[in-house]
Amino acid sequence: MLGFVARRLLYLVPVLIAVSLLTFLIASLLPGDLAYTILGDQATPEKVAALRQEMGLDQPIWVRYFGWLGNILQGDLGRSFRTGQTVLQAVTERLPISLELMVLAQVIALAIGVPLAIICAARSGGPFDRFMTGTAFGMLSVPTFLSAILLIYLFAVELRWLPATGYVPFGEDPAKNLRFMVLPALTLALAEWPGIMRVLRSDMIATLQEDYIALAKAKGLKASRILFVHALKPSSLTLVTITGINIGRLIGGAVIVETVFALPGIGRLLVGAITTRDLIILQGVVLLVGAGFVLINFIVDMLYAMLDPRIRHGHA
Amino acid sequence: MTAAVRSSALARLFLVAGFAVSLCAVPANAQKKGGSITMGLELDIAGFDPLKVGVYDTAALTAAAAIFDTLTYLDDKGVVQPKLALSWSSSEDFKTWTFKLRPGVKFHDGTPFNAKAFKENFDRQKDPANKCRCAFYISFVNSVEATDELTLVYNLKDPSVNLPSLVSFASGNNSVHSPTAWKAKGDDYNRNPVGTGPFILKSWTAGDRLVLEKNPDYWDKDRVYLDRIVLKPLPDAQSRFASLQSGEADVIWDDEADADNIQKAQKDPKLTVHTYAGSGAAVAAFNTKVAPFDDVRVRQALVMALDRKKMSQALTNGLARPATNPYGDGSWVKCKDDGALPEDAEKAKALIKEYGKPVEFKMLVTATPRGRATGQVLQQFWKRVGANMEIEQVDQATIPPRAFMRQFQVTPWRIVDLADPDVQMYANFRTGSPVALANYSNPELDQLLDRARVTADQAKRAEDYCAISRLINKEAIWYWTFQNTYYAMSSAKVKGLPKMYSGIVDVSRVWLE
Repeated sequence: MLGFVARRLLYLVPVLIAVSLLTFLIASLLPGDLAYTILGDQATPEKVAALRQEMGLDQPIWVRYFGWLGNILQGDLGRSFRTGQTVLQAVTERLPISLELMVLAQVIALAIGVPLAIICAARSGGPFDRFMTGTAFGMLSVPTFLSAILLIYLFAVELRWLPATGYVPFGEDPAKNLRFMVLPALTLALAEWPGIMRVLRSDMIATLQEDYIALAKAKGLKASRILFVHALKPSSLTLVTITGINIGRLIGGAVIVETVFALPGIGRLLVGAITTRDLIILQGVVLLVGAGFVLINFIVDMLYAMLDPRIRHGHA
Repeated sequence: MTAAVRSSALARLFLVAGFAVSLCAVPANAQKKGGSITMGLELDIAGFDPLKVGVYDTAALTAAAAIFDTLTYLDDKGVVQPKLALSWSSSEDFKTWTFKLRPGVKFHDGTPFNAKAFKENFDRQKDPANKCRCAFYISFVNSVEATDELTLVYNLKDPSVNLPSLVSFASGNNSVHSPTAWKAKGDDYNRNPVGTGPFILKSWTAGDRLVLEKNPDYWDKDRVYLDRIVLKPLPDAQSRFASLQSGEADVIWDDEADADNIQKAQKDPKLTVHTYAGSGAAVAAFNTKVAPFDDVRVRQALVMALDRKKMSQALTNGLARPATNPYGDGSWVKCKDDGALPEDAEKAKALIKEYGKPVEFKMLVTATPRGRATGQVLQQFWKRVGANMEIEQVDQATIPPRAFMRQFQVTPWRIVDLADPDVQMYANFRTGSPVALANYSNPELDQLLDRARVTADQAKRAEDYCAISRLINKEAIWYWTFQNTYYAMSSAKVKGLPKMYSGIVDVSRVWLE
């Protein structure tokens, strides 16, 4: 197992370098020079040239890339020219909010998707299964920004059960925090549960046709025990993969959801950095998010290996 | 130098304002004290240190209006009134202004406010070593001197007839910061601002909320009613409006792009829509040095081809107010005849035909939904009269440098709401100015601009500015689309919101009914 982990960790190095290179290239290729942005309405050619030289923007792109990479390896991701905050400060301030949002969304999505998948698989082809498959397909097609506004309209403006926007830190008031988080998390979950349900459902249907399930039935085990104990674990491999990939989708979704619900998370930080052309924050955050995504998928790989011993022994 | 200024040319023509007029127009006990409000802003505030942020955006201005004081303020009639300054006077050539300051005022950290503190603020912005973007806006001031504890003298490079009005809003330049605080906090001062204003910054969570609490020692505390103001960035227009409807926000910032919600709120008795028809306008400049705009007929044709009403309908449900001059209804410059060209597509077609060559050009537009939509509408208008415009989408930050280098054929620009037209008119149209974007030079225009800025009589100045408008309109070097209108919406129980000069929603003196 240790050898397997070490090998996988080694693979991470080139992936992370690729992530950093892409991030840097994208940020550098964005229209609008950083010097122009900082100088704003005083961007006379002389001032721009002077500032570019001062910031090293006049150097070739690979020199700047290695300079940036070198600083990162020393733990310095840079500092916003607007707020004076370092990238690390800004991210650590906002990360807990986005993490909470993602975990809650994932929990809600699983809580909706998994039971529905099991019920549908148990009665596959029945009217409920067909109805849910259709509903899931419909839900997959609803964009997040639309469901967010609809949920706000229903629960905040009409019914007044939940707040439309805002945030309270969990440490300050857990109950209030959850009230603020319900709608954003639900919005994200609404886009996620259909995928979970469809994948688990088809895996379960396949598992339920295995011989050992037939044996369990023949032994007279209760249907619920067969479903939850004997069928769920072997069917959940794809689900683990999907959950890992979903994290990436959730980060994307968080950009929209955090903006609509005014949550001070990473997504908002990114949007703000883009609209104000705060390239230092932008490339720092994209790099950290990218690295985080790579790490999560590394963990997913590990989980995979734990769930299915064949994988870690390379026989899969 | 300081003594000379004090004793010399100060003819003290205008001893404006004074102690008596002050803020006492409304009896203080008519308003209910106490309570707290939450306001939804459009943007995350980056900070308050002018050296860091350069210019305050709309969100920072709302906070700055509560945390800081300025020398003066404008009342609801647009007349300048004393705030940190009690009285002021100018030399005959309007190049020296002397302000007498209010005694006994302290910053939130206990530092006394005086002429020296003010001078330190000014010098910090002006110092070339600090490279402050904000220095650009005080380039017309040579120096500020503290001649005694409470006397401040502005020495101007260019004359300014209305300097006291121009320093009336809480911009990055005009807000007065505590020198002790910025020296002690260094880099962190940006997010820990200290002023003399009616509210003190209590806490600030980035991206979430900025909490302001009433300043118990404020020099004018009887006219500050709220105990607390919470400012929250709510970037999405739809959910910002939903927050107002559901009661999480009591006041929200808004603009014409959100016309649907503004019109919905106008019909809702529980909500109040606050509007301020400011001066200035959304404008655009033709580069008269490059074809086809080196021919006045082409420029005139394109201006005549505009149908501003239809444009307003298409872009803002008809909310945007058409502009035919650079001053607008909010300005004290009122023209019987501003020389606006008629909106006449037929005449425009004829002019293009007369020009004889194909009219093809590029226009810069900002790569935003609003910029694109505006470009597309203009494209259609001009196509109708036989001119082909190609939209060139660029980043917002790219427009100023392109404009400075005159690398454009048509570029959008804005004339913002300021208490006096001189600053922007002189910059935009005087020969040799870096932002005289049209590359157009006309001795008559220069003469009018030079005269208007040193004339004391407002009626005479207005006449000059109308003549300037007629000249610009006739030559069609710039055109104006919509006047500046500023919006805020609130629950109907929020009272006393002042006029939104320069687009600032100042909630520091509102009360709850």
